[in-house]
Amino acid sequence: MAKIEFRNVVKRFGAVEVIPDMNLVIEDGEFVALLGPSGCGKSTSLFMLAGIYLPSGGELLFDGHIVNEVEARDRNVGIVFQSYALYPHMSVRDNILFPLRFKKTPRDEALAKVKTAADLVRVAELLDRRPSELSGGQQQRVALARALVKEPQLLLLDEPLSNLDASLRLSMRTEIKSLHAQLGVTTVLVTHDQIEATTMADRIICMRAGRIEQVGTPDDLYLKPSSLFVAGFIGSPPINLIAGEAEAGTITVNGARFPVEGASGALTVGLRAEHLRIGDTGFAGRIVQIEPMGREILYVVETGMGAVRVLEQGSSAVHSTGEQVKIGFLPENSLVFETARQKLIGGAHVRAPA
Amino acid sequence: MAAQAIPELSTAASEPPVDWDAVAARARGVRRAKAVVLYAFLIAVSLPIILPYFWLVTIAFSARTGVAETAVLWRSMAVVVPAVVAFWLTAALAQSRRQLWIGLTAVAAIAIFAFAVLVGPDLHLGNFIFLWEPDFASVVRSRIGEVKGAVQFPNVWHAFGNSILIAGTQTAIVVTVASLAAYYLSRFQFPGRSSMLRSLLVLHAFPVLTLIVPMFLMLYWIGLLDTLSGVILVLVAFELPFAIFIMKGFFDAVPWDIEMSALTDGASRRQAFVSVVLPQVRNGILAIAVFTFIRGWEEYIFVFTFLIRNSNWTMSLYMYWVRDDVMGVDYGVVSAVGVFYLVPSLILYMAAQRYLMQMSIGGVKG
Ligand SMILES: Nc1ncnc2c1ncn2[C@@H]1O[C@H](COP(=O)(O)OP(=O)(O)O)[C@@H](O)[C@H]1O
Ligand SMILES: [Mg+2]
Repeated sequence: MAKIEFRNVVKRFGAVEVIPDMNLVIEDGEFVALLGPSGCGKSTSLFMLAGIYLPSGGELLFDGHIVNEVEARDRNVGIVFQSYALYPHMSVRDNILFPLRFKKTPRDEALAKVKTAADLVRVAELLDRRPSELSGGQQQRVALARALVKEPQLLLLDEPLSNLDASLRLSMRTEIKSLHAQLGVTTVLVTHDQIEATTMADRIICMRAGRIEQVGTPDDLYLKPSSLFVAGFIGSPPINLIAGEAEAGTITVNGARFPVEGASGALTVGLRAEHLRIGDTGFAGRIVQIEPMGREILYVVETGMGAVRVLEQGSSAVHSTGEQVKIGFLPENSLVFETARQKLIGGAHVRAPA
Repeated sequence: MAAQAIPELSTAASEPPVDWDAVAARARGVRRAKAVVLYAFLIAVSLPIILPYFWLVTIAFSARTGVAETAVLWRSMAVVVPAVVAFWLTAALAQSRRQLWIGLTAVAAIAIFAFAVLVGPDLHLGNFIFLWEPDFASVVRSRIGEVKGAVQFPNVWHAFGNSILIAGTQTAIVVTVASLAAYYLSRFQFPGRSSMLRSLLVLHAFPVLTLIVPMFLMLYWIGLLDTLSGVILVLVAFELPFAIFIMKGFFDAVPWDIEMSALTDGASRRQAFVSVVLPQVRNGILAIAVFTFIRGWEEYIFVFTFLIRNSNWTMSLYMYWVRDDVMGVDYGVVSAVGVFYLVPSLILYMAAQRYLMQMSIGGVKG
């Protein structure tokens, strides 16, 4: 187990600066998720932790010791690659055994550890197979077993669920989370899927173009996104954004007037779909599409400020397509961003038009 | 629901009904005709390749008097040409696997029987006298009278050993160097990498004959003229570029994350290379090994130029001198040496066929 620290870490590939300046502390035993769109430098950060990439600048610390120049093989880090990276020419047993070969573990003890690791991720009956004879989910478990068998001080998971089908993804999510609870190993999960991050991690590090945009618990990121980027990235269906100019305490967009408190100038209002209510008051629109989602129903409403998504509880639609409706919300659920800097204005709210 | 929408969209309903059986019969006819044309083409192309080898073998096992005994050849061809045609036709027309096997077995049985009857009585091993009679040249010459400029032949097994030594050593060096170099080229960025890759191909484009004279001088100056190691060095130099290029294609196809995984699993770079990367390119190594070996086995120009003493002769030189010494006089012995020279390449090709096929799959990219 280890406490991880990035201090002003920079990573360049040739002239391209992928990570300009990264500062981050991951506590011992924590489960964090690196979340961001594809190409934002998540894997690069992870590979620096694993020792596969050397940082171009700054310091990387494990338990307070600078490890920049420690070789990958000396870091005792378990990593599950996006492709799983199983050794195709070895049996599952030899795959899981591989890390122990270099630890000079006695054969009997090593085999016992392989057994334990295989039991942990439930692949014990597959030990004699080749990776090519396994399904995606089984390969993934084997990769996990291989990462865990060396009892790593840090477990790194690079998009571990992205190659699985939807139902398997759901169960692996639960399993990885309970594995972490059971083993307590510091874990970094890389993902571009916000649901994965919010459901699994204690803390989310939201990244954008190599920079950390916000660090916080899933609730923090959902309820108090520090920027438009985070607000847009977290949450499904995506947050509704309405841009306008505040004059004399009111934002007027296409006839709808939103009273605003605590902010002025060019603003963007963020409203989550489930915070919107179809009712007697609010701004007007026409329902153009209805998407039943099981316990909830998503209405797509065409309004003066573009399409707005409204999520209503209930399993059957009470409104129909083409209906003219009014959409309201509670002021405390509104998020107000400064359009120019794209930052959240704390304490600012808008009210629904009466 | 979808089925209801279709009639509105298409006009199929208003057209006369389609005679599906006629359409299927026409398609079947076209497919058959195409197959027959294809096989006819294959027969036409393969006969000129198969026949010379066939003649070589037949002459080696049948010639008695020294002169060409064409009657045997004609009789054997009367068996082989129909057999080849019958083989292809069976393959083209067989409707199932079972039919194919029955057909091929029948053709083979008939061909073997006809061959045994028509050619069998003429077969003998006398032409392979060089294998057990070191002074076979005198025997052959005495059969046909005086030969001018008679050559002193070494034992054929000595020449055989030299060929194995040259081809084997060359293969070992090329495989080792090419694997390491290709791995480096595939995995590491360094200044001049791409120009190096380009020059690898350009090097291979030179006709080797143009370099014979400078090579001769170089070998002479460093004292390796008329030595096997000199020839091996030259061969290695000419074979390496292409082997590196092929191997680079194989290494490129190995995902780098299994290597990185090995490094995080505690392996050193060398251990990762040996235990994780090399097994993935095993087929590539086998392929270049076979090609390099056969290239060394066939080598003629360099050994002819750089080797002089007859104790340094390789099989190709041996073959050349046998032909030169008794050519036009004893087809039988010349053919027998040819067959003996051919057999190792043939065995190697057949054993490695599976891996050679993968060379095109392994792919070559820059
Ligand atoms: N080895 C490399 N050489 C050059 N550029 C790289 C390399 N690895 C990643 N990059 C670049 O760095 C950026 C971040 O990549 P990565 O960390 O893989 O993103 P992701 O967040 O999708 O995992 C991308 O623009 C990618 O092209
Ligand atoms: Mg990635």
